[in-house]
Amino acid sequence: TIGLQVSSGLQDLSLRDRGGRRRDFHDLGVNTRQAMVHVQESKTGFSGRMIKLTTNHFRLTSRPQWALYQYHVGYSPEMEARRLRSALLFQHEEHIGKTHAFDGSILFLPKKLENKVTELFSRTRNGEDVKITVTLTNELPPTSPTCLQFYNIIFRRLLKMLNLQQIGRNYYNPSDPVSIPNHRLMVWLGFTSSILQYEDNIMLCADVSHKVLRGETVLDTMHSLHSQVGEERFRDTCAKELIGLIVLTKYNNRTYRIDDIDWDNNPKGTFRKSDGSEMSFVEYYKKQYNIEISDWMQPVLISQMKRKRGNIQGPVALIPELCSLTGLTDKMRNDFNMMKDLAIHTRLPPEQRQREIGRLLNYIQKDDNVQKELRNWGLSFDYKSISFTGRVVQGEKIFQSGNMFDYNPQFADWTKETRGVPLIRAVPVDSWLLIYTRRNYDVANTLLQSLFKVTPSMGIRMNKPNMIEVDDRTEAYLRVLQQRVTPDTNIVVCILSSSRKDKYDAIKKYLCTDCPIPSQCVLARTLSKPQTIMTVATKIALQMNCKMGGELWSVEIPLKQVMIVGIDCYHDTVSGKQSIAGFVASLNQTVTRWFSRCVVQTRGQELVDGIKACLQTALRNWSKWNRCLPSRIFVYRDGVGDGQLNTLVNYEVPQFLDCLKSIGTDYSPRLTVIVVKKRVGARFFAEIGGGLKNPPPGTVVDTVVTRPEWYDFFIVSQTVKNGCVAPTHYNVIYDTSQLKPDHVQRLTYKLCHMYYNWSGIIRVPAPCQYAHKLAFLVGQSIHREPNLLLSDRLYYL
Amino acid sequence: MDKNFQEEFTQIIKFKPPLYKQRHQFVKDLVEKYKPKKVADLGCADCSLLRMLKFCSCIEVLAGLDICANVMKEKMHTLSPLPVDYLQPSERSLTVTLHHGSVAHKDPCMLGFDLVTCIELIEHLEEPELKKFPEVVFGFMAPSIVVISTPNSEFNPLLPGVMLYRHPDHKFEWNRAQFQSWALETARCYDYSVEFTGVGHPPTGMEKAGFCTQIGVFIRKHPQTGESVQSEKPTEAVYKTVFKAVYPSLKDEKYLQNAVISEVIFTAQIIKHRLMSKHEEYGDDPERKSKFQPSMDCFSDYLGKLVVEKNMEPFISGNEVYIPLVTIFSFPKVKRLCGTFEKLCKLIAGKVTLSSDGSAVMFNIEHENEEN
Repeated sequence: TIGLQVSSGLQDLSLRDRGGRRRDFHDLGVNTRQAMVHVQESKTGFSGRMIKLTTNHFRLTSRPQWALYQYHVGYSPEMEARRLRSALLFQHEEHIGKTHAFDGSILFLPKKLENKVTELFSRTRNGEDVKITVTLTNELPPTSPTCLQFYNIIFRRLLKMLNLQQIGRNYYNPSDPVSIPNHRLMVWLGFTSSILQYEDNIMLCADVSHKVLRGETVLDTMHSLHSQVGEERFRDTCAKELIGLIVLTKYNNRTYRIDDIDWDNNPKGTFRKSDGSEMSFVEYYKKQYNIEISDWMQPVLISQMKRKRGNIQGPVALIPELCSLTGLTDKMRNDFNMMKDLAIHTRLPPEQRQREIGRLLNYIQKDDNVQKELRNWGLSFDYKSISFTGRVVQGEKIFQSGNMFDYNPQFADWTKETRGVPLIRAVPVDSWLLIYTRRNYDVANTLLQSLFKVTPSMGIRMNKPNMIEVDDRTEAYLRVLQQRVTPDTNIVVCILSSSRKDKYDAIKKYLCTDCPIPSQCVLARTLSKPQTIMTVATKIALQMNCKMGGELWSVEIPLKQVMIVGIDCYHDTVSGKQSIAGFVASLNQTVTRWFSRCVVQTRGQELVDGIKACLQTALRNWSKWNRCLPSRIFVYRDGVGDGQLNTLVNYEVPQFLDCLKSIGTDYSPRLTVIVVKKRVGARFFAEIGGGLKNPPPGTVVDTVVTRPEWYDFFIVSQTVKNGCVAPTHYNVIYDTSQLKPDHVQRLTYKLCHMYYNWSGIIRVPAPCQYAHKLAFLVGQSIHREPNLLLSDRLYYL
Repeated sequence: MDKNFQEEFTQIIKFKPPLYKQRHQFVKDLVEKYKPKKVADLGCADCSLLRMLKFCSCIEVLAGLDICANVMKEKMHTLSPLPVDYLQPSERSLTVTLHHGSVAHKDPCMLGFDLVTCIELIEHLEEPELKKFPEVVFGFMAPSIVVISTPNSEFNPLLPGVMLYRHPDHKFEWNRAQFQSWALETARCYDYSVEFTGVGHPPTGMEKAGFCTQIGVFIRKHPQTGESVQSEKPTEAVYKTVFKAVYPSLKDEKYLQNAVISEVIFTAQIIKHRLMSKHEEYGDDPERKSKFQPSMDCFSDYLGKLVVEKNMEPFISGNEVYIPLVTIFSFPKVKRLCGTFEKLCKLIAGKVTLSSDGSAVMFNIEHENEEN
């Protein structure tokens, strides 16, 4: 018996994953290409040189005329219990075969039954005769969405058969963990997998995944937090550190997200069981799992269940002592040493990564049970990943004040080439404040001297600042700002002695809302190393210039009258439960100035309503700058989760169109909406000199591993020092530009050169990164929309 | 052989907790009482009893046997270790094995068990199988304790809709007299004592019917003479192993070593952090430095006493911090893991950077200062 559990209802045949919500992670069935006539024939570009690539995709093969047969199973008289329904049906394995998947009403078989309707008779132990009617409802071709989801379920079963452990969405190998005792971390190697219909084939995309687990319980963590911060800040710190983290429990194989900590409860507290009786946690864990809870004073963790799980619904209480932490906290991510130690194990270079993936395929190939299961369904895999050719588009030239720069495209960086060259637009710093604490007096002077050294060659005129010494307290900083900032102040520079977030937040909040002046915060530590001070000062000078409305460099943008929009979202998981959408839009022809707004959305509100308003003001501002309205608009939309594509297509895009309509009846610009996705499973490897290397920046892939129902492509724009470069996926979901795919690809790549906080090429188009920065600043520090007086500057860098 | 499934039919008489849970609880209580190390469940079906027993801390070997491999396979993965079992390996060792085979056949893998449970099993056996059953379980396996449960047919009239048997696969259902005479004869034959009980109380006024499930607990009268008995019964393996899970345990050197290294480095890091924060705060003032005491509540007591002994004091020399192993060993968690100081030294040898004389854990702090 193959006891696959498939949920009822055909259209939402679900991937019943623990933790995850029931949704279509792969956006199957969202067909956006069919509405775009100009890419019906071809969606591929042509420019650049060819490059031989391999990838982490493997062809799924099935015997010819393979189909999955879907049956409806009815019982007369009606039988309620699913177990009973299965038991009664499986008495007839000689009819339906040994290979089947049944969820209580829908039956999938790899072969067709003789008749369209089959009647079977079973008898319950009560002696009741039951008629079972098995009716063919569908013959699913291998490419149907249901069938694809079915493959994914089968494949996950295979991983389970290989004794891999499921954590969250992926499967991990527990037998060979890497332990990093310095940080009490353990890394499990695992795999992500998805089976999808790509251009010409159904393929398995398999990638290496690393799960960071922590060798301590939540209670251990609480103890060490207590000793670090003391009683007073303990609860606050716990909330900040722990809420949002995913935990594993000692007694079941589920993951829970910590949503709250109930300090008024403890293991002696009681809860209501599903049968209605009350029981204490201590008693329950003893009785159910023979686990003795040793600390009876610990608080209780609360996890909100997103959906019904068996008969459990609503909040679930967890005991810290019985929970282990997974993943990294923000604090850990900021721990340079920890991340360095982790990177050794998680950043696998191309060859090693491909080797690890090969190992998985090898397991699958070698395991008899797995092979048998595959055979039963008539499926098999190509155990060699596919190869194809991609293109490397030509490098972009960098323009700065009439100079044109070539740089080594391999490095995707022009820091050296443009050093000491005048900026496109240098904003003079006539009146500014430099605020520091007494301890940092020397550091402040060093910074000042260095700034005076580096700014002239950039063309920045800089006066002496108002040097202000403050006590190292948040209120002291704020008081100085209130007293000393004047309407003439160009910018405020604060030297902070520690990375205490509250101080930074307070300064940013005041200077972004009540008193809209650009500001630059620097950690004293960053300035304390003589050998790097010039580099640091150069970066600070550039950043200050951008924040005041300056422009650094440009690339050639051949399109005229074009407005580029970038949108990204930030979801505040810790405190406010609010989401923030950052919105930026270009203001000029060279795409060197940006207008920005953001939408702060509390629960229940739709982000998109706010985005509509943003687009309206952006158009107004564009027309102010250019004395006309843009004839082309490109929207780069980042921050779209798996499975949200449908909402975007059906709700957000129409809102954009509505907004444009509302500008005027005779106004109909060409609109292109592109969904940008950084987290994708696809990896590309360039076959260079007999080995596998990361593909060079500018590599475009728009065949084989793209999706037939989409107008999509991948670009590798950045370089990485270690590990594998991750391509960015671009999905053009709406396009009336009439531009050739090649031009859309080129424009996208050009925009990856325009992020002023990095003199090199980045992973996403600059507007996305700007929108991300803005949303992050607002979400982390400001929590409300910044003052619009700042909206034409990159104050959020 | 779907035990849990039967109760769904019991519509009028509802047992609370459900009857199958009462049977499981009965076995669990027995395990708590006798603390067997090796337990086998014959006719384990979907492994639900095994799933419960794996949490009993006295059990080190758990085995299941069933004639139907598919029903075992359906949920056997729930018997695998959990991620947390790997993260925090337990003190005890545990191996769970599932075998596909018949209780009418002897297989040496079933030898040496302390407790063998046959919950709602015998009524599924055909006549020839039932005949061989006592010889296999009591004669061959010969565990200290055998538990056998089976329906009590006297209770059947109280169950609505039960025409003949409670389940279509039942080959017979015995009344109490039938079961007891079979049990007593079996016990006598293989030198066991037997006591009868049951679960599922009859409703008030129907007490005469007895328990819904009748249970016999068999206890071997004489301790087994060990190998001599087994060696008389050379048998070939006939069962097929369908599942085997070895739980990570600190008894396994590999896991113990990982746990010790992790704990040693973690402990040393804590001491180092304390030492360095004091060092930074008070600069080179030797007066203050010697008063070093970590402020972590859980550790302060130990270190408070320890710093008295000069050689146990952690110290900084140039770019290196030295934390004596003796100090680390004095932490209860480390001590409990290793047992002896010699064992500690042996386990971390070559895995943790030590001072040249091997007496202290050494950290280089040069780079750290740079990055922070």
